[in-house]
Amino acid sequence: MKQLVVILISLVLAGFAVAEDVALDDPQQEARAQSLMRELRCVACENEPISQSAAPIAEDMRARVRVMIEDGASDEEVRGWFEDRYGEFVLFRPKADGVAGWLLWGGPFLLLLFGAFIGVAIARSRRAQVDPVEPEDA
Amino acid sequence: MIELGHFAAFLALAAALAQGMFGLMGQRRMAGLAAYAGFAVMILSFVTLVVAFARSDFSVALVANNSHTLKPMIYKIAGAWGNHEGSMALWCLVTLGFGAAGALWMRTGRDLFEARALGIQGLLAVGALAYLLFASSPFLRLDPAPFQGAGLNPLLQDPALSIHPPMLYLGYVGYSFVFALAAAGLMEARVDSVWAKEARRWSLAAFIPLTLGIALGSYWAYYELGWGGWWFWDPVENASLMPWLIGAALLHSVVVTEKREGFGAWSALLAVLAFLFSIMGAFLVRSGILTSVHAFAVDPERGMLLLFGLLTYGGFALVLFAMRAPKLSGGKPWMLLSREGALMANNIVLIVAALTVLLGTLFPLMAEAAGRTISVGEPYFNLTFTPMLALLLLILPVVQAWAWGKADLKNWSKWAIAGGALALVFLALGVGLWDISIGAALGLALGAWLVIGALWELKRRAITPGRIFRLPPRVWGMTLAHMGLGLFVIGAVVETTGRYETTVALAEGGSGTVAGWTLTLDQVRAIEGPNWYADRAQLTATRGSAKAIMTPMKRYYPAAQMPTTETAIHKTGTGDLYAALGEQRMVDGAPRWVFRVYYNPMIDLLYFGVILMALGGAFSLWPRRKA
Repeated sequence: MKQLVVILISLVLAGFAVAEDVALDDPQQEARAQSLMRELRCVACENEPISQSAAPIAEDMRARVRVMIEDGASDEEVRGWFEDRYGEFVLFRPKADGVAGWLLWGGPFLLLLFGAFIGVAIARSRRAQVDPVEPEDA
Repeated sequence: MIELGHFAAFLALAAALAQGMFGLMGQRRMAGLAAYAGFAVMILSFVTLVVAFARSDFSVALVANNSHTLKPMIYKIAGAWGNHEGSMALWCLVTLGFGAAGALWMRTGRDLFEARALGIQGLLAVGALAYLLFASSPFLRLDPAPFQGAGLNPLLQDPALSIHPPMLYLGYVGYSFVFALAAAGLMEARVDSVWAKEARRWSLAAFIPLTLGIALGSYWAYYELGWGGWWFWDPVENASLMPWLIGAALLHSVVVTEKREGFGAWSALLAVLAFLFSIMGAFLVRSGILTSVHAFAVDPERGMLLLFGLLTYGGFALVLFAMRAPKLSGGKPWMLLSREGALMANNIVLIVAALTVLLGTLFPLMAEAAGRTISVGEPYFNLTFTPMLALLLLILPVVQAWAWGKADLKNWSKWAIAGGALALVFLALGVGLWDISIGAALGLALGAWLVIGALWELKRRAITPGRIFRLPPRVWGMTLAHMGLGLFVIGAVVETTGRYETTVALAEGGSGTVAGWTLTLDQVRAIEGPNWYADRAQLTATRGSAKAIMTPMKRYYPAAQMPTTETAIHKTGTGDLYAALGEQRMVDGAPRWVFRVYYNPMIDLLYFGVILMALGGAFSLWPRRKA
């Protein structure tokens, strides 16, 4: 583990020194890198992922993602690396932990369930003998 | 000259007050006259502002702060609304315009109701005008006048962005009149078929420009920001998407009120919410509480005033709603599985989708208050908003054939088989032939399902092919809108999953390959425009016998001290080859130019789908021929 950290840190320095915005050779690795770049936030910009920022720091961060991917890091490891350095703020895909995380990720689906429940309840309370009528225009 | 405009705006305020008073007193004719007068003087006021911009009259503070003599004329004019004060003047103009249009075109035969609607609209105009005149006046002079202006934000110097704000405002502010109709209907506790007929027309009148306005903004972001994407889930984009979703729900709910006298309270509530969400959008964008790349005019104090307006209107409308909703009739009876039930499902999903966007947009703020800094972006919305809407679109083709009251379910197995077969065909084609992911294949199947479903419903309604062109315009509107939705889905899926992006660094004369195209950098030249200078690259793109010259630019606007990217887009017929010029860089001692190159397949289909939706709205607005 310690070794890995040392390697990573030296890679960081190497990566930041020659920030080159050039695609990886392996198209599958490049695709993974690009999808990660769309969910990491540029720390110096206003609400932009690093995939869409011309800021120098974003360029460095992009290079960092590519270096890590090329080096065999998993998506989770890349996210974790950035989170350790810049905090949760850097993740455009917020984590589903804590009350806040559950509220954010579960909220929409709870609302949908709640809506469906209310809807069915309303429909049931109005149940009666009904004759169907064909719509004539809309 | 500008003083005349300032004075005219005060006259408009007086007219709006009169409109409000006469309206609430029930005097339809007088309220209508006041509405015409208010609109007329506001046009005068707005024209003086535009003239000040066109003439670069820098003794007007707003012009000095936002214009420049070297700007092309069209952007001088568009600059009038490319800033906070000017855009508020536009907001007032449109509010009064909808009042005047309402006075002219309302046809309910209910004088008191119409008078009250005009009255409420007048009061909304009073609020907007007071905000304009006392908190963000565009009419103030500057002494001494500077010789040169500070220039417009260069990002806004663009044809699409000149008409984007007026379109968007026609939508946002259009909902003010829908709000007024809802309030007037609630006041007399009569939200029935006649009300719905009127409200539906005005909802469409707001929905169509809102749709086009959002599409224009998205297309602008696509080619101007230079990152190849068309939707960024930026707070400002979200602020326009929320009223759109509510407006779409309203269009569907109001049909139940019109045809079956049901959902009256719900339709009125949605009508109120559509406008409240529009103001909230303005508040979120203008107050600066959300960070966004697009927020061009930020001021906390103005934000507080907007919040105050939002709470006042919202409080008034919701109290009125709570008092009157129990008195509204429930309409004809219906079963869960019926046209009413299906439209209710549509409404539930659209509203929850709007709330999801709201949650995702505001959550970082709330979390920050609780001591946690969180960012919410594209991955969140892709995993919550998108599947929810997909669910709704999945049932659409089936339920749009359902009857009022009670659905005939004997065909359900045929629908299930047809849908399943379509999904299997696309899975086989997608995974086997096109080599795309399962998700993408299912997305394409969903789009095709919608298009086929829309056409199938048209055929079913026509009964015989000969009657297809004699169907009411509303049926055509529905078909076009749902078909547009399907084409949008196909375009969005293909673009998102099939997009190809890369970065190449080229020396002059060098070349690289991107998505089958060979790009050769012929030269990079420094050129000069009216109020900018630029590096312009000339790329020759070739693939087989196809050849195109592309000239992406990197502009610099000295007045605003700001660079912009001008992308070069080559339409290949099936997609866009898209190039943006980046920095110059030394590689091995030799200068190279960095290009971001994208291939965006079927992006035009996506916008075509949205335009079709707006066109469907226009058809639905078309009056039915007398039989």
